[in-house]
Amino acid sequence: MTTSMNRVLSSGAAVEPEVSRKARPRIRPGALTIHATMILLAFIAIFPVYWMVVSSLKAENEIFSTGLWPSAPSLDNYGFVLSQIPMLRMLANTTVVAGVTAALHVLTGLFAAYALVRWRFRFSGFVYGLIALSWLVPFQVTMIPNYVLASRLGLLDTLAGLIVPHAAAAFAVLMLYHAMKSFPTEIIEAARMDGAKHWRILWEIITPNLRASLASLGILAFISAWNEYFWPLLLSRSIENSVVQIGLQMFMTQEGNLWGPLMAASTLASLPILAIYLLLQRQVIESFMKSGLR
Amino acid sequence: MASIRISSLHKVYGKTPAVRGVDLSIGTGEFVVILGPSGCGKSTLLRMIAGLEDITSGVVAIDDVIVNDLEPGDRGCAMVFQNYALYPHMSVSENIGYSLKVAGVARAERDEKIRRVATLLGLDTFLDRRPAQLSGGQRQRVAMGRAMIRSPRVFLFDEPLSNLDAKLRLQMRLEIKRLHRELGSTSIFVTHDQLEAMTLADRLVVMNGGKIEQVGTPQEIYRRPASLFVADFLGSPPMNFIPAVIDDEGKAVCADGLRPCPDLIWDLEPGAEVRIGVRPGDLQIVGRSARGALPFEVEMVEDLGTENHLHGTTTGLRMTAVLATGEAVPDHPFAVLIPESAVHLFRERDGARIDPRSVSRIH
Ligand SMILES: Nc1ncnc2c1ncn2[C@@H]1O[C@H](COP(=O)(O)OP(=O)(O)OP(=O)(O)O)[C@@H](O)[C@H]1O
Ligand SMILES: [Mg+2]
Repeated sequence: MTTSMNRVLSSGAAVEPEVSRKARPRIRPGALTIHATMILLAFIAIFPVYWMVVSSLKAENEIFSTGLWPSAPSLDNYGFVLSQIPMLRMLANTTVVAGVTAALHVLTGLFAAYALVRWRFRFSGFVYGLIALSWLVPFQVTMIPNYVLASRLGLLDTLAGLIVPHAAAAFAVLMLYHAMKSFPTEIIEAARMDGAKHWRILWEIITPNLRASLASLGILAFISAWNEYFWPLLLSRSIENSVVQIGLQMFMTQEGNLWGPLMAASTLASLPILAIYLLLQRQVIESFMKSGLR
Repeated sequence: MASIRISSLHKVYGKTPAVRGVDLSIGTGEFVVILGPSGCGKSTLLRMIAGLEDITSGVVAIDDVIVNDLEPGDRGCAMVFQNYALYPHMSVSENIGYSLKVAGVARAERDEKIRRVATLLGLDTFLDRRPAQLSGGQRQRVAMGRAMIRSPRVFLFDEPLSNLDAKLRLQMRLEIKRLHRELGSTSIFVTHDQLEAMTLADRLVVMNGGKIEQVGTPQEIYRRPASLFVADFLGSPPMNFIPAVIDDEGKAVCADGLRPCPDLIWDLEPGAEVRIGVRPGDLQIVGRSARGALPFEVEMVEDLGTENHLHGTTTGLRMTAVLATGEAVPDHPFAVLIPESAVHLFRERDGARIDPRSVSRIH
């Protein structure tokens, strides 16, 4: 900003009025309203996260106080969490499950989208429709059959059992289908003239040009797999083979919730997602914009 | 280098026919230009030769081997696309060398060939750039290089110059001609630009409505268009047409009873409707009283620098005459005369060219 401004300034007197107009932007009332609303919404969104972190630092007797900052912040709750459940193991499990699920989403999505876009076969429109429809089928409908299948395959209480049912997703197929559809046909034809067959065209021509879509999809899939709760709840038996979302549940007991440890565990569980947000902020925002989810 | 034989080739998209029975033989090393209006099936024909489009019926053979079912990459054809179709994520050298990479050519040999082609096309300083960092003309060159590197048997061009400005187009046209002379590969070039067609072609193929209208050298086609369509399509400004009827003697009579070519006789049944065609540049300016003269009323003169275009009417019909700039536009009423050698006559019924009886002079 400053450098471009300097360049403009030094480029001559002729542009000066323009610059000075730009330098002092007038604040219009409409913009003010919008900004105020945005700030309010941002506050509403951020506050629970803030409250979670703050509560995790509070001592037990202070947990219900409305103070915005604990009188004596301590990491005792974190120590308690780590001693009660294998939190690190669960975090590792969740990372594996979410990572592999995201990778498989991308892979199966690529294959299916390529076939649907590039191959002309009977009923391809019908197949596409079926996939689109399957997106609308709620989890609860497939839960029981999936559970039966997983138990027959001996996948109960395994990480593979958490991954396999989510290896392919209609959302991934649809998203990549549209990305691939808008990829210029001429470039693919040029590759065909150069002797490339389907495998090369997919990996060497199309995929490198879909990086933005693939990154978006990967991030979305990772986050949604990370936040998965019901399926692990059904499938997991031992706490060693479980994921963090199940770990959180350990602090909700029949005698009441252990709020401090619960908040500490939640904070730990959110850290990786937070890290992704911070590292890949641009891609995440882009991906949410692209997928039309906000 | 290869010869190509195409016989009764058809392409139907769903129910709409795009190519309707094309027969064409192309000799080794020949430069063939396919010319025709938009939507006449030029691209479809080219893409069927390339293998990018399924053949509905008919045969495409390269070097007498039927290639109907071969993959595009296995036909030995290279193609230059209208929008260049460069790989956006690859550098210029990767773009040019991709076909060699696919073919499994070793890196050293590949680099050597890439450098040779790049030098030939003046691209050596751009090898590390991405296509997005090149100008239109440079992209065009990269597309050419990508086609050349495999020393293909056949070059296919689908309007490769239509996205360039006029000056660059001329330059690339000359370059393509030069490359063809150096490499001598069989080439098929699709365009709807007459000038490109006339200057590049060893042999010109004019297409219309999915069919071939005429095949010949550019000169043959320009001088003896075989149909009304070809006559109308080729030439700028376009040919003038005068509707006429054949009388009992076999002579053509147009409106007001005028006989534009009083000494020519056609073997057509009396009453047959025809159209007399004459190129604007062939018209001669004469006095109103000359035999066979058509009175000409000038409405507008366009000075193009090298020549004047006289737009006006003759017996109520629009007509254009061309005068060299040196020749003065007459300031008195005048007429135009169609020299016998410049007469083209087409039957109205089917647009076919009908030549006059050669021994028809009655002096
Ligand atoms: N994929 C397609 N599906 C249906 N019809 C098509 C398809 N491709 C081309 N056509 C039709 O086939 C006809 C010939 O098309 P083609 O692209 O060969 O024309 P062209 O001569 O190359 O025209 P242009 O000079 O505009 O490129 C057109 O009427 C077009 O609408
Ligand atoms: Mg075309």
